[in-house]
Amino acid sequence: MNTSVSRIACFVEKYNFSDPREEGALQNFKRAAEKQGNEFHFLFREDISDVRKFDAVFIRATTDPLNTAYVVSKTAWELGLKVIDDPESITICGNKIHQYALFEKYNVPRIPTVFLNKDDLHHKKINDIFEEFGKPVVIKAPYTSFSKYVEKAACETNFRDVCKRFFKKSDVLAIQKFTPTEFDWRVGVLNNDVLYVCKYMIPKGRWKHGAKLRGKPTIVWGRTVALKKETIPQRLREAALKACSVVGKGLYGVDIKEVDGEYVVVEVNDNPSIYAGYEDRKDKDLYGKIINYLTE
Amino acid sequence: MLVVSNIDLTTDSRVMNPATFLDSTVKEPILNVNNEYRYLKTGYYVSLHAEVLGNRVIPSCENIIDSSRIPILLLRAERAGIPTLPSLVTDSVKKIVSELGFPVVIFAVNPFIYDGYKTANNKSALYRAMKSLGMNYKFAVCAQPLQGEIFSIKTFFGKCQTNDLQTQNICKKVYEHFKIPMCKLHIQRTREKAYLCGLQPVGKDELSGQDLQMISKEVSLLSEQGEHFGV
Ligand SMILES: Nc1ncnc2c1ncn2[C@@H]1O[C@H](COP(=O)(O)OP(=O)(O)OP(=O)(O)O)[C@@H](O)[C@H]1O
Repeated sequence: MNTSVSRIACFVEKYNFSDPREEGALQNFKRAAEKQGNEFHFLFREDISDVRKFDAVFIRATTDPLNTAYVVSKTAWELGLKVIDDPESITICGNKIHQYALFEKYNVPRIPTVFLNKDDLHHKKINDIFEEFGKPVVIKAPYTSFSKYVEKAACETNFRDVCKRFFKKSDVLAIQKFTPTEFDWRVGVLNNDVLYVCKYMIPKGRWKHGAKLRGKPTIVWGRTVALKKETIPQRLREAALKACSVVGKGLYGVDIKEVDGEYVVVEVNDNPSIYAGYEDRKDKDLYGKIINYLTE
Repeated sequence: MLVVSNIDLTTDSRVMNPATFLDSTVKEPILNVNNEYRYLKTGYYVSLHAEVLGNRVIPSCENIIDSSRIPILLLRAERAGIPTLPSLVTDSVKKIVSELGFPVVIFAVNPFIYDGYKTANNKSALYRAMKSLGMNYKFAVCAQPLQGEIFSIKTFFGKCQTNDLQTQNICKKVYEHFKIPMCKLHIQRTREKAYLCGLQPVGKDELSGQDLQMISKEVSLLSEQGEHFGV
């Protein structure tokens, strides 16, 4: 247990408060921090340069190496503050090419994946991919989050269309075998330890956890079912921890699919969503544990 | 050492093009010479691929990302003893006015704008600068006081074409610290001193014949002598 008072900055944007369940979680963090005798302040982008006045930084705004959140994270890191998400985790999780290349290097059980360079978008290559993975395949832009730039393609025309769109921002894309399941396991991990576990159910007739309804602009998410972390299969736990070990020691949400009794990692997310009454349902202590990690 | 480049170099060193390298599993130190190291562009992926293969590489992915985020560039430069001015990251006009005053120079800190800056002498100019570089006030910007004249200079392996010793020194030190083989630096010059303000990619169309010769010469030299890859 820490004895001295820590000043924690929680970097947020206005949208973090637009959903009452997320706001609820943020207030839970604040309460947990204060209960332990720490100070907990929300830091908005107006005051980013004030990070140097704190001892620890907890980032809840969406992270990406190109976002302001990276600037906050790296600044804190350079100044020697404790930080979640740390800059290296942001860099690895923010780019699926980076992450999948590490999975391959360190043998993390994963969905079969190939990388496609901008210069390789031609008939033979596309054929080879369909040959290897069957149809359809899943195409991912490396910077995707909230399932935004993850699409299926079942023919060459469609494949080219999706790739051309995704190549506008990134010169390399990831192509995967289509591996649909009824739900994604979501294992919350902090510092090499399981923090919470849920199932993110995939809406009927869909294949992604978050799906756009026809004609509606907002994404609708499938149900979240929390489980006692003690009850999960050992091999699920191992797959989650192994995947995190190639990323870092921070706070992650690992998405895992169960395919024919095997656990394959879809991805490790830094900055995992935490909504009051959802991820925390069976593990209310997750708030205190994260605060502890920031202050120890 | 293998050179990976998207530029037509006149050198005897072995040079591989980026696409070939990305499909390879070459195991040796890599010198990645690209006019553009923007995140998610080929120049970035060459360094990423080299790192994942376990090769030493210039430039590193960390340096590519950090040098292109102006507030981090300035923080790390300052700590490395490179002259910089105090800066502020914010989306608040009020804060810039009260803490820095006028004139100021504004750089973008968002995923979309990676080139250029704006200067402002008064509040309405500052609002305009924040509106365009903050994309309608959606993002924070990086503000620095404008104390002298601001100019841009191309630099290759830390060398540049100027007689100003302080500017030469900044180019040299920025290269020593961030190891970006080619880029454009934005520098402020007061009567007494030069300060680093920003770093951005050089467009291929901005490269003169003379620049290409200079780059080729440096690449040849480094291949012969071996570059200090560091960590
Ligand atoms: N190869 C695949 N086959 C089938 N479904 C997939 C595949 N890859 C991803 N999915 C599903 O698509 C959704 C989004 O995938 P992924 O997590 O890779 O993208 P993301 O944009 O990072 O999404 P999020 O931020 O929601 O996790 C998830 O529900 C995931 O289970």
